[in-house]
Order: sequence, then structure tokens, then C-alpha cells
Amino acid sequence: MDKDKLKSPMDRRDFLRTCGSLIAGGVTLAAGGWLASRTGGTLADGSDAEGDVFWQIDPFKCTQCGRCETDCVLPVSAVKCFHANKVCGYCDLCGGYYRPSVKDLNTAAENLMCPTGAITRKFVEEPYFEYAIDEDLCNGCGKCVKGCTSFGNGSLFLQIQQDLCQQCNECKIARVCPSDAIQRVSSKNAYKLKDHA
Amino acid sequence: MLGLTGSLSAFAEARFPKPDFTSGYEYPDIFHGLPYEQFWNVLDIVLLVGMMSLVVWAAYRKRSRSIILSMSVVSVLYFGFFRSGCVCSVGSIQNVVTAAVDSSYHLPLYVLLIFLLPIIFAMLFGRVFCSGVCPLGALQELVNVRNFRLSRAVSATLSMIPWVYLAFTILYAATRSQFLICRFDPFVGIFRLGGDVGMIVFGVALLVMSVFIGRPFCQFLCPYGAVLSVFSSLSWRFGKKSKPQLEITDKGCINCALCGMSCPVDAIQAPQNSKTSEERRKGVKRIILMAVLLPLLTLGGAMLVGQNSDALSLAHKDVYLYELLLQQQANPDMEEPLEVETFNAMGGNMDELKAKVDDVKSDYSFYAYLAGGLIGFVIGFKLLKLSLKRGRKTYEIDSARCTMCGKCFNYCPQNLKNKIK
Repeated sequence: MDKDKLKSPMDRRDFLRTCGSLIAGGVTLAAGGWLASRTGGTLADGSDAEGDVFWQIDPFKCTQCGRCETDCVLPVSAVKCFHANKVCGYCDLCGGYYRPSVKDLNTAAENLMCPTGAITRKFVEEPYFEYAIDEDLCNGCGKCVKGCTSFGNGSLFLQIQQDLCQQCNECKIARVCPSDAIQRVSSKNAYKLKDHA
Repeated sequence: MLGLTGSLSAFAEARFPKPDFTSGYEYPDIFHGLPYEQFWNVLDIVLLVGMMSLVVWAAYRKRSRSIILSMSVVSVLYFGFFRSGCVCSVGSIQNVVTAAVDSSYHLPLYVLLIFLLPIIFAMLFGRVFCSGVCPLGALQELVNVRNFRLSRAVSATLSMIPWVYLAFTILYAATRSQFLICRFDPFVGIFRLGGDVGMIVFGVALLVMSVFIGRPFCQFLCPYGAVLSVFSSLSWRFGKKSKPQLEITDKGCINCALCGMSCPVDAIQAPQNSKTSEERRKGVKRIILMAVLLPLLTLGGAMLVGQNSDALSLAHKDVYLYELLLQQQANPDMEEPLEVETFNAMGGNMDELKAKVDDVKSDYSFYAYLAGGLIGFVIGFKLLKLSLKRGRKTYEIDSARCTMCGKCFNYCPQNLKNKIK
């Protein structure tokens, strides 16, 4: 009776299944352990990655191609214009505020660079003006950044606003960025700014 | 104008001198919104484990669909809409593959756990994750009304798609080209309430389909489901030997066929006699034929995809750029694409790029053979499996396909006995 039981194909199937389970379990454990040993890694800026990582633009690599405005997964891009006041020249004739061909320095729409009117300025003292970005209006097109970089100190720059960014597994803008300016940073240095430049 | 590169703009910072304010002006403090906190990641993992455990309890102990359905609602709301669907276990395949081939790639522990935990649960209990924890599956589950059954042949053919998808995902992730799964994620656009047109149309089309067909994404597209199905079918069995892991009822099947008709993913196998009308010799011959076909198909697949690795490598940014540059050189009158313009403006070196491209292409030729081999092997294995006929006395769950939606529990009259009393 017992002999018959041993010979039945069901036992062979059980045996094979147990082998399969053991192999699968072993592989999972081994792969898991091996991968856990690789959870470190270094980020593009050379720092050791710890914990979670976040997308940022390297402002010195950015060429303001305009894709940040159009390619973000959000309806209005999470990329915004940032302003490094400490780099700004506070000029009246600002390359980021006015269009290049401007005749009169007034706030008529045809004179202004920003298509959404997101840049505001405030008189400080003769002849200085303080510029600020209204982030709710900014769409990250980078027109002002381009103006400021080519005629100015480069104090305006595009950056990913971390509380808007969805932290996609693969940043859609990074995939199309022509200058590979979008990299991951650790939460300790969540912003790549120009202030300390 | 494009070409204001790093060095240039750093130089440009001295263009206008810093103003020396006399009115006591102070630079404004600027606060930038902080990224979400680690707390949410911890909560994700806790919820992932908690919800999977709850589904196990609901399926194995309570045989209750309503608990599983309420998990689905929680999953869609939390993992889907609130956490906006990223990082998900399906997409984490790519992070893991990239980290496996590239030690400089940063794989957060959180992402590794998101990848591994559902696999561990699949090994122990089956595809618990698919059931009510994966927001993609849960969304389809919640809209499903009718189950129009596809024929076995059609669904067997379509169920090869996830493997092809997986093979190409691995190919593109291992060569650091792009994340295919993220790019063609059908539902992330819905969770974020916005996205490009193609994504939304694809997502809505799948959702409309899933009203009539159970979980079309899970059955015929999801590469992670394919991975889980392997682990699920090799999972440990609790209780009696040779019994399916999850039983529709613990009160004994009466072969009424109701569960089989209720299953949205066709995972319930009807009883059949192991002694078929077929001649034994004929059956053995067919199995031998399939066993011979398996390595041939593997090899054939590897050759087919491997031979096309150069064309496939265009998915890599650098290869694409190099191709554009070559086109540009051959035809200088052509309008400069943005990539070429930027490359030139940044003073890119053609030889350096060529060296990079050669590296990428050699990577591609290796991984393309691997991916093709995987596709061939899976097709061969499927054929072999289809040609085996196993006897069954009662209706049983095929743990590889079962996504543990719990529908069959409610249809089983044996389960209803208690409730009526």
C-alpha cells in the first residue's frame, strides 16, 4: 500500500513543486540581500545618497530650452523660475523683466518678457529695483532666465519646486532635457540654488 | 543664444556689480517648499504590509469580498490619488534592474521594499498585492461590472504580452535608456488628474474595457503581475499536499460551476478527467516536441531581438543624439534639432560621444539577446504547459492567475450555507 503511494505521480509533482518553492525562495532571499547591499550609491553631485532622492535642475547646465514648461506631467509645470537676490544687480533695465527691443521702461505688456506676468518689481532706492517671482503665475518657460543669463548676472534660474514636484520614478523632463541638467539630489540638499555662487 | 553654458554664466555673474544700498535694504529671505517627508515613505510601507496582511486574512480566514473591496477603495484613494501613484511596485522593477547592473545608481531602501514585499507575500499566499493593494488593479476592480470571457486561445496569446513588456522593460532599464513602464503607465494620468493626451486616452480606454472584461491591465499588460504569477505558482502550500493554496470553500466543492463563471480573470479551473480520449503515445510525442521546441524558441527569440539591438538602441538618449548629429553632418541644410543645437552650443565632443555610444551599443547587444531569450523561453514554456493535462476532481484556483478579488467566495453556495442559517 505504502509502496503504491510512493510511486504515484502526485508525489513526484509535490516533490518538484517543493523544489521549485525552495529555489524561488532562495533566489528571492539571495537577490533581496544582494540588492539591499546596493541600496547606497552616489548621486550625480558626488554626495552619498541617503534615504529618498529628489529631482533638481543643475542651474549651471540648464540651457532654458523651454521643455520644462511643456514636458512636466503636471498641467502647470513644477519647474519655476527662482531668483537669487544676492546675485542680482537690481538694475532698472533688467534683461529678465523687459524684452530685448524695449523702448520705454514701463509695465506695458508688450515691453515685458514674462508671458504670464509672473515677475513683479519693487523700487528700493535710486537706481535699484527688487525683482520677485509670483510662483502661482510662473509656468517655467524660462524666457526671463534666458534674458537674465544673456544680459544680466544670471540671478534668475529655473528650478524644480519640491512641494509641487510629484517625484516621478523617471522625471519626464529629465528624459527630454537636451543638456542632461536634471539630476537627483538627497533630501539634505533638496535645492540646487545659485545664492552661494 | 542657447549656448550660455555653466562657465559662461558663472563668468557673467560679474557683469553688473552688486548694488551698494544706502537705505539699509536687506536681502529678502526666500523659502522654498520642502519635499515630502520621510514619514510618508514609512507610512507607505506600513500600509503596504498592513493591507496585504488584511487581504490575506480576508481571503484565507473570512472568505470575504467586502473587506477586499474596501481595501481597494483605500488603495485607490491613498496610493492612487493621494500619493499620486509613484513609486509603485510595478515601476520599481526598473529601479531594481538598474541598481542590479549599475552599482552607482541610487536605489533607496524604500523602493527595494516596495519591490520585494509583494513578491514575498506572493511566495507565501499568492498574488495578494494584485488583489486590493495595487492601485492600478484596485481601480479596475472597482469599475468592473460584467465579465465577458475571452476564448482560452485568445487569452493565452494575450497573456504573453506582459512577458514581452517585461523583457523590453529590463532591456531599457539595464541599458539606462528609459523607464518603459512609467512612460506607458495607463492610470497615473487619472490619479494625477492630468497628463498627456495619449496617456489619458489609453487609461480611459482600459478603464472602459475593464467594465466588461476583468482587469485587462493585470491580465494582459502588467509585467509585475507576470513576475508575481511565477512566485505565486511556486508558493508554499499550507495544509494538504497537492491542494491549491487558496480554497474557494472549506466545506467541500459540489462542482456547481458557479465560481468558475464568476471569476473575472478566468483563474478557476474546471474539473477534468486525467484520462483523456487521447492515445498515450500521441500525448508523449507532443510533450517531447514541445520540450524540444522550448530551447529552439529561446534561441530564436534571442537571435531575433539580438540582431535588432542597433535599432533598439535608438531609445537611448546618447545614441539618438549621435544619430541626429550624423544626419546633420550628412545634410547641413537641415534645420538643427534642439538636441544638436544644445550639443554644439555646449561644446560637445563628437569622439567622446562616439565612445559613449559604442559602450551603450555593446550593452544593448548583450541585453537584447537576454530579453529575446526570455521572450522565447516564456512562449516555449507556455506551450509546454498548455500541452500538459492534469486531472482535477473539483473546481480549483490557479494561483498563477488568481488576483484574489474574492468574487468566487460570494458565488459559492457552500459558503452561503452559514449565512442563511
